[in-house]
Amino acid sequence: MSRVAPTSGSKILYFLCITISGFLIYTDLKYKSFEGIKFFYQSLSISSSYIIKNITIEPLKYLYKISKDKNELINENKRLKQELDSSYISNFIISRDSKFFIDDDSIKNFMKLNNINESFHLAKLKYFDTEMYMCCSKHRAFFQTINNNDRHIGSAVINENGIIGQVIHADILSEVLLLTDKEHILPIVSGSHFCNARGSGKPQIIKCLYDTKVWQDKVTIGQEFYSSGLGGIYPQGILIGKVLKIRKIDDNLIEFDINLVSSPLASNVVGILEVIR
Amino acid sequence: MKKIGIIKLLIIIYVSNFIESLMAPYLINLYINFPITFIIFSLTLYNSNQNTNAFYAFLFGLYLDLISSSPFGLNAGLFTMLSYVINSYANTFKLFSYIQICIFFGISSIFYVGFKSLIIGIENFSYLVLFVSLLFNTFIFFLISMLRYYFPSMSIKYD
Repeated sequence: MSRVAPTSGSKILYFLCITISGFLIYTDLKYKSFEGIKFFYQSLSISSSYIIKNITIEPLKYLYKISKDKNELINENKRLKQELDSSYISNFIISRDSKFFIDDDSIKNFMKLNNINESFHLAKLKYFDTEMYMCCSKHRAFFQTINNNDRHIGSAVINENGIIGQVIHADILSEVLLLTDKEHILPIVSGSHFCNARGSGKPQIIKCLYDTKVWQDKVTIGQEFYSSGLGGIYPQGILIGKVLKIRKIDDNLIEFDINLVSSPLASNVVGILEVIR
Repeated sequence: MKKIGIIKLLIIIYVSNFIESLMAPYLINLYINFPITFIIFSLTLYNSNQNTNAFYAFLFGLYLDLISSSPFGLNAGLFTMLSYVINSYANTFKLFSYIQICIFFGISSIFYVGFKSLIIGIENFSYLVLFVSLLFNTFIFFLISMLRYYFPSMSIKYD
């Protein structure tokens, strides 16, 4: 259908509409007659957009915010826990400052030369066979270092209570030989009494055997023994434990048990000391 | 091209008015006034196969006055005038080239911009804006007219 030019009737209609438009403009500009309608429309559009936003976008935003907040809280919690664990171990080292940093300048120079910022690396327990620990002679724990994948074979491992062992094998995980493992030997000292303490294969206990002809000082129950540092692995002067039981093997040989102050069960986060070679 | 339904056109004009309100503050820095709603309505009338009623244009104008917060009757009057012109010259347009039609719509959009500036606030009236807008709007119409080469369904089929 082709379009036809406006007829005289429709022209009148156009004229009428344009006249009405002119009248509307005049009344609106002169008397603000339509302000009410405009305000009503604006308030309606604002409130409806607010309601629509509340129904559609806000719940989604709220859900997103909740999930984000939850994740942030979890991450923050993890970070704080890690910092707390780190601070426990740092406190242990700082409280024994004179023992860990006895040759302060040389250690500091070494750390500076090797770009080492921390004296230990935080590691998290990955596997520990408690049944083996309670019953048998092989006491091993497996840790994974946090923020660092360097291998630390020969490094001492500590927790917030004291020394728990040394790293004997390091790959993805670090295998730690605990003080109580029967294969472990720890040189300890109390006063002038030196001894090589062996792991007993029992939890928390290490044994020391000595000849009364060589060491004439008597050992008493409750006597404290410290690391001597003579093995080259552990720092000197760290409290290892107290004498628990003394047994006479024969006329000359005496064996005593030492109850360790630190336990690998105390914490699942440990510090692996930086090795100084 | 088929005639667009009333509801669809109302929505299109609402959306285009919203887009226009977003674009205007940036375009005016380039001395351009691009009346999207007016252009869409004029193209709708032009593409229609039938003559539109005067009330149709008048009511759409009032609707635009309401949503754009311009004085009541301004767009209503301008849309009615445009509708009259397009309906009167609908058959004459068939004789025109696309360039002539683009220039016609460019000039009519400038008439719309200028008239609106005079009514809403004469202090905003600027010949520079009108001239730059004329070039810009005519160029946009050229681009729109070229769309029929890429989208044949947009071309007008005269009965």
